[in-house]
Amino acid sequence: MSTPSTRVACLRVADLPLAAELRANPEPAGRPLVVVSAPGPRAFVVSASPEARAHGARIGASCVHARAVCADLHVRVASPALERAARDTLLDAALAFSPRVAAAPPATGAFLAEASVFLDASGIGSLFRSEETFAAALAARSASLGLPAVVCVASSQEIARLAARRLALESETGRVLVIPPGGEADFLAPLPMDLLDPPDEFAASLTRFGIRTLGDLLRLPPRALATRLGPEAPKLLARVRGEGHEPPLPHHRETRCEEALDLEHPIERLEPLGFVLRGMLSRLVDRLDARGLACGPLTLELALEGGRRDARRIGVAAATNETRTLLRLVNLALEQRPPAAPVVSVALGTRGRPGRRDQLDLFRPAGPAPAELSRTLAELEALCGEGRVGAPALRDEHRPDAFALEPFALQVAEASTRKGKAPKARTKPAAPKRPPPSARLGVRALRPPQPAEVTAPGGRPQWVRSRVATGRVVSRSGPWRTTGGWWSPERRHAFDHWDIATSDGTIVRLRHDRVAHRWEIDGIYD
Amino acid sequence: MRFSPRVSPRAGGTEAPVGASGTASPVAAPGGSDRALATLLRDLGPQLRRGSAPPPDEPPARDATGLPEIDRQLGGGVPRGRLLEIAGPPSSGRTALALAWLARLTQAGEVTAVVDLADALDPPSAEAAGVVLPRVLWVRAPGLAEALRSTERLLDARGFALVLLDLDIGGVQADAVIHDATWLRLARAAAGSHTSLALLTGRRLAGTFSDLTLELQPSVARFSDAPALLEGLETSATLVRNRLGPPGLVSPWVIST
Repeated sequence: MSTPSTRVACLRVADLPLAAELRANPEPAGRPLVVVSAPGPRAFVVSASPEARAHGARIGASCVHARAVCADLHVRVASPALERAARDTLLDAALAFSPRVAAAPPATGAFLAEASVFLDASGIGSLFRSEETFAAALAARSASLGLPAVVCVASSQEIARLAARRLALESETGRVLVIPPGGEADFLAPLPMDLLDPPDEFAASLTRFGIRTLGDLLRLPPRALATRLGPEAPKLLARVRGEGHEPPLPHHRETRCEEALDLEHPIERLEPLGFVLRGMLSRLVDRLDARGLACGPLTLELALEGGRRDARRIGVAAATNETRTLLRLVNLALEQRPPAAPVVSVALGTRGRPGRRDQLDLFRPAGPAPAELSRTLAELEALCGEGRVGAPALRDEHRPDAFALEPFALQVAEASTRKGKAPKARTKPAAPKRPPPSARLGVRALRPPQPAEVTAPGGRPQWVRSRVATGRVVSRSGPWRTTGGWWSPERRHAFDHWDIATSDGTIVRLRHDRVAHRWEIDGIYD
Repeated sequence: MRFSPRVSPRAGGTEAPVGASGTASPVAAPGGSDRALATLLRDLGPQLRRGSAPPPDEPPARDATGLPEIDRQLGGGVPRGRLLEIAGPPSSGRTALALAWLARLTQAGEVTAVVDLADALDPPSAEAAGVVLPRVLWVRAPGLAEALRSTERLLDARGFALVLLDLDIGGVQADAVIHDATWLRLARAAAGSHTSLALLTGRRLAGTFSDLTLELQPSVARFSDAPALLEGLETSATLVRNRLGPPGLVSPWVIST
């Protein structure tokens, strides 16, 4: 047995294909539902809900048979993508309580469909009122993520899993069980050997020897057992005694979350696809929420009819968990570039980011609340498009109108105000001493620059006609030459800039593009 | 008389006031009510505020624009939570005024936003004016509807000191009809969020929904003689609408490069 202080919790879903299906589509909950292996009448039943089993639907039977015994049967095709997401969700539910989490190795035989996660529950009772409270909270968290499960706490992984199997047999999901330290032997004694799911030949030998319960097995000496039943016997005994399984160790978890769905029928239009995406986003956000993370940029992968794939990245200006905002971003991306063919499968992923935190300061203005600012930024980007919302930053180059749009963050702004540092190294360092506010002539940039007809005898502008300024040039200064980017045809530029005042009262920044040989106005002094 | 919620039960009308001698009398004697009131005032002290009507609202906090001429004209600065319209032709100093205001606020640690329908914000120019760029949220709205909705969203978010809505497209006024209901909504949102909303336009758009309207007119561009350099611009600002004070003040001012 493990040390007395070792406590392990097992979070177990008995029938993962069924639970995964109900998590994605809870409508058939409480009705006869079976999950079949493949589309078509020749598929066999993989999982069946208690209601379907009550009607006579059996695992392993054909889909036709299941339909024959139950007229109002709901049939779903097993989706590996959904099951993978459900398995990860179970892990996320556990990670909400402890970083010492491990997924149980896949089971075989009668427990093939189960999914279990172990948590190190040592000392966790001090955080909650008792281990029962902790177990109930864990079960509730799993249920809130769409996966009703049972939770058992015991002194080893195997005993906790055996207890969870036993609990699932005798009750509905959502129950919890705590086996107190030292009470394992009494609890295990009456349990049938089937819960251990031994290999078939070994199970037959045990039956022949009259060993039907775990208590019978625990009473036998290991060496004598190995002599008669072979080397598998001591291993089985060690499992029951909880030997050789330490609690999970903490390690860095991937913050990437992914939700995927194989569609039963291809979707051609964006509106029904939006419904599918709404559910997926909602589940994704719930998972991130459970881990205290917020949704960052999204990746959307669509499998299309004909084997083609459509992958795209959807920017999120500020990490947020607002489903409505995220859905809007996704819809916007799909409307801008609709899928080229009907969609047969959808995968939506993101890398979770820590939510915004801000330490309030007594001596500076509070500014927007971090959570509200995140929502606002995400909504603004959804409204205006990707890359159109942020904080302006100067680029360290001489090309006119070179600027960048950095993610807007209050922390960066605060650091910049206090230390006079730029947010990122690639941008131009901020001036060490900011000029005091004063009436300085500003420039209104024209993007793109406006073409101008210019009469320039001897290269000096005398008369201008354009959309923004027209008339005789009454004053001028220049030219100021700017060149650069000679190493790249795309970036090569050479401008002669003039500051001119025209007879209509406008002061503009006129430039002669020496590469393209044309006159343009790229700014208005205002 | 206006009482705070923590007023003593003795202030109730059914209980007789306690006289100077400390004995309660069933009916207040003439002159006794004054004494009782004086006692009550003494007992309650700072919990009590005199006056039958609620006290007048506190004067709105004002943000200085950083330009003494304009601040003087506006009575000490731009009041918070109001809609200010800055209208004028190109090269009239609207951008200079807006950048000076942004610089003043961002240097004081405030967070501001620029909703830029014209896509005209020039970051080098803004930084040269003293604007702390990381404290400016720049929204490059692709259309008028997006610009208006973004402005409303920013006002709803609260916490921004100033939302600057630039509706002047490349020197040519956006010829779009904006319903009165939109201005009303924006003005109310600004008042509710205690955020100043500044509108940069070529001509007046908000009409009577604007609390303050400044019209700018350029007069002379200043160029030096030798070498010829753009030195600045002489302009004048007229306060054509002012809900909080007298309008009609004209201030000439000079903008340097």
